[in-house]
Amino acid sequence: MKKFLLILVHSILWRRIFKFLIGLRYYNRDVLRSKKQYILIANHNSHLDSMAIMSAIPMNNVRRVHPIAAEDFFGKNAIKKFLLIHFVNAVLIPRRRAKTEGESDPIEMMSKLLRNGDSIILYPEGTRGEPGVMQEFKKGLALLIQMHPEIDVIPIYIEGLHRTMPKGVSLILPYNCKMYIGNPISFHSYNLEDILSVAENSIIGAKPKPD
Amino acid sequence: MNKLIPSLELGAQIQMVVAVIFGILIISSVIFSAWKKLKPGAFIEELVVRLKSWWVICFVFLFAALAGPMTTCIGLGVLSFFALRELYTHLKLRDSDRSILLVCYLCIPVQYYFAYKGWYNLFMSFLPVFMFISIPFLLVMTGDTKDIVRSMGLMPSSLMLGIFGISHMAMLVCYPALNENADVGKGLLLYLIFLTQINDVMQFTFGKLFGKHKIMPKVSPNKTWEGFIGGLVATTVIGYYMGFLTPLHSWQLIVVSFTVALFGFIGDAIVSAIKRDFGVKDMGDAIPGHGGYLDRIDSLTTSASPFFHIVYLMILI
Repeated sequence: MKKFLLILVHSILWRRIFKFLIGLRYYNRDVLRSKKQYILIANHNSHLDSMAIMSAIPMNNVRRVHPIAAEDFFGKNAIKKFLLIHFVNAVLIPRRRAKTEGESDPIEMMSKLLRNGDSIILYPEGTRGEPGVMQEFKKGLALLIQMHPEIDVIPIYIEGLHRTMPKGVSLILPYNCKMYIGNPISFHSYNLEDILSVAENSIIGAKPKPD
Repeated sequence: MNKLIPSLELGAQIQMVVAVIFGILIISSVIFSAWKKLKPGAFIEELVVRLKSWWVICFVFLFAALAGPMTTCIGLGVLSFFALRELYTHLKLRDSDRSILLVCYLCIPVQYYFAYKGWYNLFMSFLPVFMFISIPFLLVMTGDTKDIVRSMGLMPSSLMLGIFGISHMAMLVCYPALNENADVGKGLLLYLIFLTQINDVMQFTFGKLFGKHKIMPKVSPNKTWEGFIGGLVATTVIGYYMGFLTPLHSWQLIVVSFTVALFGFIGDAIVSAIKRDFGVKDMGDAIPGHGGYLDRIDSLTTSASPFFHIVYLMILI
């Protein structure tokens, strides 16, 4: 039932809304069609980012892709939480790593999803930042990539969605926005700092340079 | 469904023009593919991409124009929406203008509803009178006066560019007095679209073939006096011979088609200058080879309302 609902909402709502109403255009979307499992990393400026990325994912893979959201932010409101889990297929994780036994650990939760063959959408900045300014990446991404070097990491650069729904505003307005999907990143070194800097450069580099 | 497509039975004249349009498309496709085989190059590649988009544009436009008044209004309303969205993407309005932007978008259904009903007075006054007064006041009510003058100027004017001009095309097929006899409105609409687009093509062609003296080198280096005058003359001649689509007489046809060509050029120039100011080559990339929606309909935004009013004066008074 959940699966059915998700696919229905995804195919009828998100894709139509983003394409025709908001005016989102996808570039290089074939990458998402050719792969089955991936870690998607993107810059984060708007609440709409997760839904926008979900709308780019081919329908047969939708239920296996989970945007990762912070539990302390979204878990507070029961309605928000329900909508996120059922309509966006999100997984809520705590922001801090587990200190004691029995506490749920965010890295372990994401790793478990990946072991099950699912894909995740991650915002390495950790929170929505200033448009156009990349914040320092959180280490969790690098730890995850170290644990799962075999999974493709695909960078995504989203441009313009922060104007459709800026931070702290609930009115959604149409603006032409663009989603540049990059090619899978190849890491040469699995050093923590190297992973983070390569990941950051790939997200920025996903947007083609103007000629 | 009956309201959306009341009938696809068209008069002999309209059928002929539709045949001519597809004839032009087919012939150009054949010529271009031969050209591409014989002398490949970047220029012909671009022309082929453009022509492909022309096929889609012609199908969509002809269907929307000929299927019936309601389809025409909905189709043009969607076009206005895309045009406004493209414009607002570049306009850099303030964050406090967001709620008023929603009002601007809501003007689209209202204006096209007036067009659909054929309520001439409301249709004519809604944007230039009521909205030009209301929107600045609504902006005042948001309480943010920093740079408010810019928003007060831009937001009502954007409605003129994105909605007002284009909605006159809907009015052509909906205005009761024009549509007492079937097909008069449809014929006029087809005449307007065909002439405006032919004018674009003619100015482009004459400019490429003979262009030497630039009209506005700082705004658009592609626009030359040769292209402008060649397009003006060619469009007027074509407009004269296409007159069977309209109930107009010979001298009226010359005046009308000359006006369409002139105002088409004006719209083209205005949008070129806007793009120059925004620092972009095209307003968007929605139509391959043409740029954004506004790049394609730039000349229609300014030629539709003068056309409507001249025809109104000639036929109805």
